[in-house]
Amino acid sequence: MGLISEILGGVFAAGPIVAMIGASILGVFIGALPGLNPVMAIALLLPLTYSMEPLVALGMVAGIYNGSMYGGAIPAILLRIPGTPAAIATTFDGYPMAQKGEAARALKIACWSSAIGGVASAIALMTIGPILARATLYFGPAEYFWIAMFGMASIGVMVGSDAVKGLMAAALGLLLGTVGLDQLSGVARFTFGEVWLLSGLDLIVILVGLYALPPVISLAEASDIKGLSASDLKLEAVKVPWSEVRGLVPTWLRSSLIGIGVGILPGAGGNIAAFLSYNAAKSASDQPESFGTGNPQGVAAAECGNNSDNAASMIPALTLGIPGNVIAALVLGALLIHGLQPGPQLFHQNPGLVGGFMVQMLLTSLLILAVGGAAATRIFAQVQRLPGVLLVPMILVLMAVGVYVINGRVIDLWVMFAAGAAGYILEKINVPLAPIVLGLILGPMAEQSVRRALLISRGDPTELFTRPLSAVIALATLGLVLWPILKGLKARRRPQAQ
Amino acid sequence: MKHLAITAAVLALATPAFAEYPERAIEVTIPAPAGGGTDTSARKLATLLEEELGTSIAILNVAGGGGSVGVTQFMLQKPTGYSLLATWNSPITTVPQVQQTAYQPDSFTPIASTSETAYTLCVNPDFPADTGEAFLEELAANPGKYTYGNDGIGGTMQLAAERIFQSRGIEAVAIPFGGAGETLQNFLGGHVDIYGGSISPVLPYTETGEAKCLLVTSAAPVKALPQAAGLESLGLGDEETLLWRMVLGPAGMDADVVATLSAALEKTVNDPAYVEFLATKGEIPNVVTGAALTARVQGEYDALAKVAKALGLSQ
Repeated sequence: MGLISEILGGVFAAGPIVAMIGASILGVFIGALPGLNPVMAIALLLPLTYSMEPLVALGMVAGIYNGSMYGGAIPAILLRIPGTPAAIATTFDGYPMAQKGEAARALKIACWSSAIGGVASAIALMTIGPILARATLYFGPAEYFWIAMFGMASIGVMVGSDAVKGLMAAALGLLLGTVGLDQLSGVARFTFGEVWLLSGLDLIVILVGLYALPPVISLAEASDIKGLSASDLKLEAVKVPWSEVRGLVPTWLRSSLIGIGVGILPGAGGNIAAFLSYNAAKSASDQPESFGTGNPQGVAAAECGNNSDNAASMIPALTLGIPGNVIAALVLGALLIHGLQPGPQLFHQNPGLVGGFMVQMLLTSLLILAVGGAAATRIFAQVQRLPGVLLVPMILVLMAVGVYVINGRVIDLWVMFAAGAAGYILEKINVPLAPIVLGLILGPMAEQSVRRALLISRGDPTELFTRPLSAVIALATLGLVLWPILKGLKARRRPQAQ
Repeated sequence: MKHLAITAAVLALATPAFAEYPERAIEVTIPAPAGGGTDTSARKLATLLEEELGTSIAILNVAGGGGSVGVTQFMLQKPTGYSLLATWNSPITTVPQVQQTAYQPDSFTPIASTSETAYTLCVNPDFPADTGEAFLEELAANPGKYTYGNDGIGGTMQLAAERIFQSRGIEAVAIPFGGAGETLQNFLGGHVDIYGGSISPVLPYTETGEAKCLLVTSAAPVKALPQAAGLESLGLGDEETLLWRMVLGPAGMDADVVATLSAALEKTVNDPAYVEFLATKGEIPNVVTGAALTARVQGEYDALAKVAKALGLSQ
């Protein structure tokens, strides 16, 4: 009892509460503005909190992290522009819903799904965090290789109608992923003697260009100078009927589990969690063909998936002292500055603080409902009323600022524009963009892991299949590849039987 | 009146050093992303330095290429004293060994080193050795048997370990990871035999008994790791390689400005608040300035060049 009151006493002090609420609002804005991303925001704001008490800093991190994962959905639904890379999968069904006049419904579902994913993840962090963290240690390079392959196998679900174009897009992503200094041999690949290419193409720069620019160009093409009138904007409080909510429950459950699973394993992140959740929802659906045309299940899966990654990604950092992503690394850095020693003893030595942060991850997930549902969604939805002639330059400036701040390099702006031009052309010739992203993220992960595994086994490839865990993930990958084929065969046989 | 103005302008241009330095904001380039070890160290130092110098300090993070991107960009700055580089040693002494860089260790005006920490080599509790000497003997007796995780191919950590291994004729299999966190995860999971990396991530596991740290890459032992031998005690004192941080300026800086900055850094680095901050990261202050700093940079560069060449990593 003493511990709980200590934790709650720390969290419900004035400073941390203000930090959580302020950061949640800020997070939604940062997420909603393409180019600005939570990593940058937290990295820039955290040093300002060094002189304050730790729970203020951690409350801010929690608010920005959770808020931004929902915020990314707002432009994804309204404008087809993902506010963060993790909201890419939200555009698939969110934007078609908005086009059908269901923007408000899509935003509401996104808001609830984000909150539910965040809460589920925070509960996992609070209850089974240490067990999950220990479980991650069984994942060595061989397992990571298969996880990457599992992710890539899901491209099959995503290639759309034209499998050849989808595979070509995936190959393009893999190729882009090879650029830079090879981490295992130290050899520079495709850098053409350019120093800035040594660290590879920056993922966020490419994603912002590839995904946010084409819709902006489309907006410009529409050369709309009037904007929507207030009456055209259907944002009256929509009721999502209980029957529909019940239909979303399995999706929320599945996506939360996927997000938590992706979150505890370093290397992937919210965007992969959203993709995998979306795929899982599509595979499980009775009407997979309705995905991509405005199916609320798609929005729910993507948004629940990317938020349930958040708290779970803190598990290895808080229980083992091993940061799984940049935000977790920033949190560990902040704890160090406050004189705390991350590691397995962190919770025992500072239960009030670590427990407090866990509670903050939970509370800020719930705050999404208040901040997102009531205020931010309404304000941002007004963006739709802005005429294109104003909207286009505004978005471009925000994108340019956001991309420049990531590495402080002007060259990244050119990379963003090049990626955007490529994305625009590829969309015109019906090449899906999602496989490019998966190739770009998972390609380096698969390559480095398999080479590390072979270095450790001294070149013996059986290691990839015989460690019990690697065999399990390999079989799961095989199943994922065969599943659509089997389903297709079954579907074909059924009409014949009748 | 006009003549006077021109004369004043010419004078001002010709004799910038006579003005009281610093008279405007200083920009500090950090060749690493925001939030990392180098970044937090430099930002914390900058807040103290702002007070000491009475001017504001703007931080510019330029990440990429193991630090070489930021350092290369910094090369374009003028030696006015208003552009400084806060870096760790790797981009200056290690990266030029394995990458084609536009700079060499002597392309800068050395101002002051700030802090340092050793790397450590740790094994699991069952490893058949309990001292640094026995550890090296076990490795030497079993060439190619043990794997050690490190911070990246051709990185300072790998070169630090290989310096020791080469002088003892040891062959161990290097497994490069993306950083100490990843190495630690694979070490704790038993995927690699030896943890190689900075001290602070592995420190808690020496307390829980999951890691046995037997060697540090500094000449002297480290207080926090009583079981680990310093290199001096193994007769390898000359093979010391540390992770250390420094402040540099562009080549050709005015000596008075350098003196002002060195003095200010010496004072702020040894400020109790900063020393305490360093301690949480397992680092200790060590201010070296002037010719001694030049020698420190060049000496490390030359020693690592030898190792990199022997490993076939040299550019």
